[in-house]
Amino acid sequence: MSWFRITLHRSAIGLPKRTRGVLMALGLRRRNQTVFHPVEAQFAGMILKVKELVLVDEVAAPLTPAEVKAERTPDAGFYVETRGPAPASQVALLATPVVSGFGRLPPRAAGSIGDFASEVAKATGRKVRL
Amino acid sequence: MFGAFRMTNPLSGGLLWKIPWRLSKFQKARQRKRLKAVDSVIATLDTALAKKGETLKALELWKAEMPTEAEMLPKDKYTIFDRKAKRYRKGIHKVPKWTRVSQRLNPPGY
Repeated sequence: MSWFRITLHRSAIGLPKRTRGVLMALGLRRRNQTVFHPVEAQFAGMILKVKELVLVDEVAAPLTPAEVKAERTPDAGFYVETRGPAPASQVALLATPVVSGFGRLPPRAAGSIGDFASEVAKATGRKVRL
Repeated sequence: MFGAFRMTNPLSGGLLWKIPWRLSKFQKARQRKRLKAVDSVIATLDTALAKKGETLKALELWKAEMPTEAEMLPKDKYTIFDRKAKRYRKGIHKVPKWTRVSQRLNPPGY
């Protein structure tokens, strides 16, 4: 079974009520909207009434509105990498604090950040805020 | 003096519209494009229905009566018969909604 792929190309503003009624009956409400109707004399007649306003193709199968939208959506130009489950060693490393100028420090027990800060301050002779 | 309220002849009252007498070559090109678009819609309908073995009276009538864009004379593409106009022809752009209506036939002899 084949289908008519009908796209409203020209607006029907200011055209007779009969013409606008035909567009309504075809399910065309706004410009660039695409609808699919089976190839039948009935629909061919309706298209014939608005032939100056629409673009028509014959297709094998109708598309869903989402597929039609995907067709005309341009490529985003980027993609988002999803973070998979990281190995346990990486998780431990990521949990350690990062001090600028020192890089990543070895893992420590939680709650010892203050001790750690004072340790670093002693070692470097600088004020450290974590 | 300038802008939307400048004192030009068309704007200072009176019915003086400057609609060019003939179409520009760009308007003519777009007119041909529109005629071809309608022809392609007719062709699509015709082939689709022919595949199913169906016929449509209105479609047959159109095909029998209406010339395609290639068959039309330039005179008929860009002008239309008008009994009030000098030499019985006026530009097709004088027709209301002329870009969205089909106007292909004119009285024979004019």
